[in-house]
Parts: sequence; C-alpha cells; structure tokens
Amino acid sequence: MIIKLEPEILQAVEKPARYTGHELNAVHKDWESTPCHFALALPDVYEVGMSNLGLKILYEVLNAREDTACERVYAPWIDMEEIMRQRQIPLFSLESFHAIKEFDFLGFSLQYEMIYSNVLNMLDLAGIPIWSRDRGENDPFIVGGGPCVYNTEPIADFFDFFIVGEGEELICETVDVFRSWQEAGKPEGRQGLLKRLAVLDGIYVPSFYNVTYNQQGLFADIEPACPEAKPVIYKRLIKDMDSVRFVEKPVLPYIDIVHDRIMLELFRGCTRGCRFCQAGTSYRPVRERSKDRLRELARKLIDSTGYNEMSLTSLSSADYSCLGELVDDLFSDFKDEKVSFSLPSLRIDSFSIDLAHKMQQVRKSGLTFAPEAGTQRLRDVINKGVTEENLMAATEAAFRQGWKQVKLYFMMGLPTETDEDIVGIAKLAEKVARKYKEVTGRWGVTVTISVSCFVPKPHTPFQWYGQLPEAEFHRRQRLLKDSITERAVKFNYHDARVSVLEGAIARGDRKIAQVIYQAWKDGAKFDGWNDLFKNDVWHEAFAKCGIDLHLYNERAREPEEKLPWEHTTPGVSKEFLLREYDKAIKEQLTEDCRRGKCSACGVCPSLKAKVVDWRRENV
Amino acid sequence: MYKYRAEITKGEEIRYISHLDYAGVMERAIRRAKLPAAYSEGFNPHIKIAFASALSLGVISDAEYMDFEMTKPLCQPEVFDRLSKALPPGVKLLRLKEVPEPKPCKGKKHKALMAEVQEAEYELYVPLTGYWQEAVQAVEAYNKAPEAMVHRVTPKTNKMIETKQYMLKPVKLSMAGDLLKLYMDIAITQSGSVKPGEILKLLQAEYNLPVDEPKVLIKRISMKGQGRALIDLV
Repeated sequence: MIIKLEPEILQAVEKPARYTGHELNAVHKDWESTPCHFALALPDVYEVGMSNLGLKILYEVLNAREDTACERVYAPWIDMEEIMRQRQIPLFSLESFHAIKEFDFLGFSLQYEMIYSNVLNMLDLAGIPIWSRDRGENDPFIVGGGPCVYNTEPIADFFDFFIVGEGEELICETVDVFRSWQEAGKPEGRQGLLKRLAVLDGIYVPSFYNVTYNQQGLFADIEPACPEAKPVIYKRLIKDMDSVRFVEKPVLPYIDIVHDRIMLELFRGCTRGCRFCQAGTSYRPVRERSKDRLRELARKLIDSTGYNEMSLTSLSSADYSCLGELVDDLFSDFKDEKVSFSLPSLRIDSFSIDLAHKMQQVRKSGLTFAPEAGTQRLRDVINKGVTEENLMAATEAAFRQGWKQVKLYFMMGLPTETDEDIVGIAKLAEKVARKYKEVTGRWGVTVTISVSCFVPKPHTPFQWYGQLPEAEFHRRQRLLKDSITERAVKFNYHDARVSVLEGAIARGDRKIAQVIYQAWKDGAKFDGWNDLFKNDVWHEAFAKCGIDLHLYNERAREPEEKLPWEHTTPGVSKEFLLREYDKAIKEQLTEDCRRGKCSACGVCPSLKAKVVDWRRENV
Repeated sequence: MYKYRAEITKGEEIRYISHLDYAGVMERAIRRAKLPAAYSEGFNPHIKIAFASALSLGVISDAEYMDFEMTKPLCQPEVFDRLSKALPPGVKLLRLKEVPEPKPCKGKKHKALMAEVQEAEYELYVPLTGYWQEAVQAVEAYNKAPEAMVHRVTPKTNKMIETKQYMLKPVKLSMAGDLLKLYMDIAITQSGSVKPGEILKLLQAEYNLPVDEPKVLIKRISMKGQGRALIDLV
C-alpha cells in the first residue's frame, strides 16, 4: 500500500515537509524487483531523526546493496499523528511511501531511554503488534540498535532482535542471512530466521532466553533457552575505520534540522575514563580515521551537499591525534568555498581554545566546557582529570581571544557528593566570571552553568550506585541556586523528575516493559520534550504494574549481584568496573590508556581489537 | 561582479517548504554547482542571492526569479548547465540571463529584483461542492464589488486589508476536470499585496463560493514588472 497524503492534511499540519520526502540524495529503488526492504527509524520527529549520524551511515551501507531498499521513517509530530489516527493512515516511509508494515525489517535507533514510548507509538501507528510474541509471519522484524543496547531488557519484549555495537558490518550480515532464508522459502518462519541470526556475533534475540527472579522479585539470572543463543553477546566493532563505508551522499533536508551541517566523524571511542560516562566504556577502544581519509571524505561531503558548515565530530574531538594538521588541511582545501568548521566538544586546555579561535575566526558564539563537578575531590572521584588551574587557564585564554560567554556543564548527585561539592559549582563559576574582569578590566561576561541530574548507567563503574531521590535533587538544586551570588552567573538545571524515571528505566529489567507499555497506553509519548512529558502518567504506570520504581533507581546494587544487562556487553570487564568504582571512592585517578598505561579494561582482548592512533602509528 | 537572473520553478516535490527554506535550497545548489559565487562580507558569509517575491508554503510556481552574483565571468551555457545539474527534485532552471552592468555614466545601480516585481498571476484548483452556476455568481459578485475586505491574522499582524485594489483583472473561473479552476492577477506593490489563498477564503466565506477550501492547490504562473516576465526585463 502506497500512502498519498492529501493537500488538506499537509496544509493542516506544522512543517508538512517532515512528511513529503523527495530530498536530494534520497535513494529510490524499485519496490517489486528489490528483495529486501529495510526501514530505518529514529523514534523522534524528522528534524531530530535526520540529524542522526548512525542512521545516515546505515542508510548508505544498506542502499549500497543491490538487493536492499533502505528507507527512512520518523515519528510523526502530534498534530500529524492525530490526523493519521482519525483517517486510519498507517505509518509510511519517506522514499516509496509504502506502509511500514510491508517492510521486511524495521530498525530503531535507540538513543536514550525516554524515547521508548515513541517506539511503541510508532509500532502502533504502523499497525504492527507491540509485543514481539504477538507478531505473525507477515509482520516486519523489529530490530533495535544504538547506545541503549547496553541494557535492552526494559524493551526486550518489544523487539525481535538487537544489533549490539557498531552496525556497518553486522547489518549486512543480517541481510545476507535474511536473503538466504528468503530464498530457501523461509524455513521455520519467523523463528527460523531468528535462529539463523542468533548465531551471528553481536545479535541478541531476547525471546531465546529465560529470565528468573529471586523471592523479592528482583532480577536473578538470564539463561539461553535454545542452542543458538549465546550466554554473552559481545558488541561488534569496526577495526579499520578507513576502509569501512562512511556517509558520502547524505540525504539533504529541505527544511532546517537540528544538526543542519556535515558531520565528519574523526574517530570512535574515548578512553579518558570518566567513571560516569557510558559512551566512554561502550565505544572503546579509540580508533581514528587517517587524516587523508578524512580530507577525502570532507571533499565528497561538501560536493554532494553544498553545505557550508562542517562539524568535526567524535566523543572528544580535540583528542584526535592529528587535529592541528587536519584543520590546517581542511582550511586550505576549502578556503574559496567559505566552509566553516566547528568542534562540538572542547577539551579544557589552551590548545583547544587556540583551535576554537582559529576555527571560529571572528564569530565568538560562546564556549562550552564540562568540568562536571565543582571540587577537585569530586572531579578525582569521577576521574575527570581536569584541575581548577586547567579551567582557569582555558577560560583566561578564551577571554583574551574575545569570548564573553562561557557555558559550564556539571552533574549533580554523583557518588560521594556533599554539600561542599554543590557549593563548589557556584564558587567555580564565580571564579570564572571574576577571571573575565581580571583579564579584560570590565564586567559583561555571562557564565551559564548547566547542571544535570546524574543517572547511573549500565557498564560504567557507577552502575552499582543508588541514584539520589527526587527530593534530594531538588534540595541540592535549591542549595546551588542560593549559593550563587554573582550576577554574571546564570543557572540552568534539568528536570529531576525525568532523571529519576530515566534512572529506573536505564537499569531496568524485563518487568519494566509492562510499565513502558502502560505509560504509552495512558498517553506517554515524546517524553524527551519538556512540554509533552507526562510525569504523572509514568508514576501511575509503575503503580498500576505494582512495580516499585525506587528498587530500580535508588537501590544500590551489590557487587556480587548478577545485573540484567551483563549479557549484552561492550567488552569491558566487571572486574575493571569494580576496580574503578573502588578507586573512585578512594579518589584515585586512572590514566588514559591511549597515551598512558593500559588500565586492563578488557575490551581489546575480548574483542581482539586495538587502539588506532595515527600519531602513534606514525612514530 | 557578474550578475545573473534565473527563472526557476518550485515544483510539487517541494510544495510544502517555506520561502526561507527555498532560498537555502538554492544557495546549496549554487555551491554544489561550483559556480564562483560572490559572498557577503562578514564572519558568516552568504551567497549574494535575491528573490523577487516570497512564495507561501503550499504554493508551487512556474515562475520564480532569483538574482545571484559571481566573481568570475563564465559563459551563460556553462552556468546554465552546471546549475541545472545541481538542482534538487522540485526545482527546474527554465531560463538564465546575465544582467548587464549598468553604464557607469548614469551612476545607477542594478535595481533590486524585489523592486521590479509588480504583479503575479495565479491558478487555483479546488473541489467544487455546489453548482457551477453558484460559483459563477459568487465570482461575479466579487468582481463587481467596489471593495472587499479580508482579515489577516498572523503571529505578527492583525489587520483588515482591502483586496480589490490589488486585483488587476477580474477573477476568472473554469472547470479543469473535477476541479474548479480560478485565475487571479494580483498586484504586488511597495505598500503591500494580498495572497490568492486569502481571496479564495473570502470568496467562500462572504460570497458563498461552494468549494472545499482546505483542499485548494495553488500555482503561481507568472511574475511580472511593466507587464513583462521579470527575466524579460533584463
């Protein structure tokens, strides 16, 4: 079924170009003669979905195959959803406008926990059963990927399988297996394909496992229930970043999207070892693209899009080993084309400031640093490796170069945090503000402190830590607010209500699926959007399901407990995480293995991987 | 500087993008075409590009006009081919002319494209929900009226506009298949104008034109100055 949207519908909704497709570089293939149809979804609105780099890569990887038509689908905004439900228009793709239900696969990129309600809503809009057990032979296979695969359990019952880790190779292996199953006449139906997929490295089929709970109803164990299922699924990773396909012709939106620029991915992984950071453990080890490959990609991307902005993205872009030379080369390659470059994340040092100055030339839009904690003691606990002197030197350099807006990111509710650490945030920000006066002799700086509420995440050293109760977050937010006396300091804080829910879902088990389902039934969607977040609906959903949320977010786990996410692992060992937690409490630092000594996290041996750092390679 | 004027379309594929987005689409197309585009000064340089008149979201056009500048001379066929190849779905390059440099003795500058436009013609296609004769009567009554006001409410304005002053010709109607086709020729002046969609709403609300107004499809078919297409003024 091909969906055609009448003008009266498109004229009645906000930003109709979200639903009309036809963008430059979108790939249109003949439906009938292409044997595999793969829909890639990001469960958020078009402008957010179109900004996701991972999906851009997979779109090109899949469409490079002759046997596969890969198409896009995003969550319709609430105005469009209302019309679609009224008129019974099913969810459709943006290339061929086929109903999503007619695809062979529907893949969701899962970026953060509070987007799960949208996954359910999109399945429902597509007319696909929400629970995997209810799906029939004609339904697509629902596959999940992205950062949330390091604890799939809260959504395990909604998905047919997950791709754990980096997907470029595995998604192709998945299609290969599908094609042979399809050509063999689909032996054993859905189960047949899932069995064939389960043996691939990095594929997790949740329905092939049995979960047990202890007397208190807490997660006890998960075990394979069929021979194809592996006890532990290690993430997949790309060993050679230069030879793997990258985006070359991204779909170019007609309307403004969130990241409306080229994203050039310099490298994957970050081994600075911040103990709160899930990305830091889950993308290890560091693997850089070579400078020459990046120049080649930059040229292709500029030529295929006409963009005049390029962001050099990575978890910590300033750590790219050849960044200085790369930036010089890019500047000279594109000097006549008025391309501007930006770094999304800055390290707190003067190298970064000089580089940012060079890249931004005149436009001093504002600098962002992430000290994460207000005192040296707590920064040592989280292994941030940044001192107050570093921050002062960096901001001083920035003020000398003419910046007058600085944004500082912090977290609240970190392990061992005391009121002194909270007050320390205010003191540090005020010190930065006074530094401006000292450097320039004037007032007029704005120091914005943005403070989020810490959510302990799976596969990090803090995965055992009990999250703070909501009321305590509120008390600490007030304490911080009252501690700020300088007018130049502006304080933004995050909604603690969202963070405590995220805290429960992030470390949830399979029982949480019922809560997500209930919340969605009762109207939860777009929970990541402040104005649409329905706190009461979520708390009622926990109550209706008889699940105590505090057992999930506030309960400290015991070191010997088996955790519900250990079977889908990025390869970082439990011993390493425990060792790091212990060192955190003792306020001891761990070196970055990329430059210093190996911290024995276990990733390289378990995945047969190694660090690729071009400066080191060339020495 | 070498200035060109292009006659381009806004097609069905991009019917629902705004004028600002359309401008961005063209800027990126010029960059992909690798034309030696001239940029504005400053730390956020933009291609020197100008449009005749903004087209509303939901309206397509056979006659959009864009002036852009280049720093090097290239022959017209080369500019035409390079730009054509770089255009996205929904935009076609119909005609392209180099805008000659005004004689220095006259001391005049190029007239801005926006200042040259005086009128635009539109076709509207809308389902008829009553009898043809009722439609004829409604349009005739509007055409005869000495004045007809519309109420324009946007986030920025809230005012009454007299529409007849902008109607250069009477509204014409005919049938195109199942749809009622309306023709409007509307003046664009320094002090303002009226949109074809506003006239249609007025016809329905005040003159009982029997149509399913939300289903209307609007197309701009010309944009003129001194009675000639803007590209023929070059």
